[in-house]
Amino acid sequence: MVTGRALEALVEDVWRRESPHVLAALLRRHGDLADCEDAAQEALAAAAVQWPRDGVPDHPRGWLVTVASRRLVDQVRAERSRTAREVAVAVAEPHGADPTAPSADADDPAEVDDSLQLLLLCCHPALSASSKVALTLRAVAGLSTTQVAAAFLVPETTMGQRLSRARATLRTAGARFVEVGPAELPARVAACLDVLHLLFNEGYAASAGAALLDVSLTAEAVRLARGLHASLPDHDEATGLLALMLLTAAREGTRVDAAGDLVPLAAQDRGRWDRAMVAEGVALLEEALPHGHVGRFQLQAAIAAVHAEAPSAEETDWRQISLLYAMLAERAPSPAVTLNRAVAVGEAFGPEPGLAVLDPLLADPTMRRHHRTFAVQAHLLERAGRRDEAREAYATAARMTASIPEQRYLNARLARLDNPSNLDER
Amino acid sequence: MKYVILIHSNPQPWGHPTGDFIAEQQALPTEQRRAMNAGFEAVLTELSERGELVGGEALADPGSARLYRWEGGSPVVTDGPYAEAKEHLAGFFLIDVESQERAEEVVRHFSGPGETVELRPTMTVRAEEA
Repeated sequence: MVTGRALEALVEDVWRRESPHVLAALLRRHGDLADCEDAAQEALAAAAVQWPRDGVPDHPRGWLVTVASRRLVDQVRAERSRTAREVAVAVAEPHGADPTAPSADADDPAEVDDSLQLLLLCCHPALSASSKVALTLRAVAGLSTTQVAAAFLVPETTMGQRLSRARATLRTAGARFVEVGPAELPARVAACLDVLHLLFNEGYAASAGAALLDVSLTAEAVRLARGLHASLPDHDEATGLLALMLLTAAREGTRVDAAGDLVPLAAQDRGRWDRAMVAEGVALLEEALPHGHVGRFQLQAAIAAVHAEAPSAEETDWRQISLLYAMLAERAPSPAVTLNRAVAVGEAFGPEPGLAVLDPLLADPTMRRHHRTFAVQAHLLERAGRRDEAREAYATAARMTASIPEQRYLNARLARLDNPSNLDER
Repeated sequence: MKYVILIHSNPQPWGHPTGDFIAEQQALPTEQRRAMNAGFEAVLTELSERGELVGGEALADPGSARLYRWEGGSPVVTDGPYAEAKEHLAGFFLIDVESQERAEEVVRHFSGPGETVELRPTMTVRAEEA
């Protein structure tokens, strides 16, 4: 006997799998994302009532599309009569296909395209970065507004406003589903990669926090990156991004200790890194790298792979990592890359060469507002035996960070500097 | 990025919006006060519509506070105000915006003569790789 709770979970499960396809089916007939999301949401609400009572239908997608289409037609009609003006949308008449027909097979190429096309819509250039991320979670990952709001620690009404605004922006920009032409596609796919990367980083950063979130953003990002990789198996950067996520997420469980304090990479329990994730990430990377177009996600994944494959922190091939960061600095220069290169060079060739890499950043007013500049400087100064300067840099970094775990970590380093009896290796 | 906007003020008598009870603002030409209020209302609406306003409250008279201070191993309770300061915390807003620049652009409209408005980032439990 299936309990009510298990049924709820089952409905949620089916919904998460089917929602991009339901939404895609609606969007093909009626271009407005807000209307289609509303209709899809009503179909979900109907499913939540009917399925536990009558059982999950044999073709849940067909069922959901049918119910949602009816709602959409009603909605468009109601709008028309209410406003008594021409509504500039294609009437919600299905193009040939019978919405009540059983859903397509899972290996149908249209299957993977639904999610890709939705993702492309959510990563439209008219949207801000945070709107792209929120809309992607809502429309592509199928999270509820409540879940998206919880993931970003804002009230549901605030997130609701953000999502409405994003949909309105798409409407104003005239964004349509399945509209991206071949000329525009590379740039739009690159934007999707950036959004998924941002989503992953957001989740990875949040996972250090004490509160266990209902929804793991890193898991969502991996799921979406898997989908993108399935849609575009020959896109080496999409492969690289998925590899990077897997190789990074493999360490997720070891970056905070029992007391909730941050554990730096060198001190993490490598035995607890997720070996299956590492193996999958490495395999993906080995598949993509020989193709020659080595972009930034592949390079970052390669760096993560060097860490993942080192048996111990001491045995890390820092020369290799320095080289990869140098390539990354050439391919996609940014202050953050320079910062990481300074760490790698410091490990490979000693603290003074590392500090030399850091120097230009310390002269950059923007980077002087960033605590990590001083955190990296502090580590290098400490290793160089320049204690007074290290103390000052740790204190500056600790003052500047907005992260409670990082501030605790930096304050602990500072305290250890003044009380060497507590000094252990990193 | 989340910030609090803290309104430090001393309206006489205590009241909200604080600007209505501050001599420096009462002394301004009516047109200017109206324009300032309209600017503030417009920004508040915009924050709300853009999904940037997380919350906020106006605070009661500082005299209504109860203060807990430890003496001899237990808290001793007295009546407010907390300090005989020129200004008191009169209210706060919590915003979540894309950048420091956006926060600074917004917060200008919360300020007025005779008051101090403080923009302060909040701390988070997020952490990059240490």
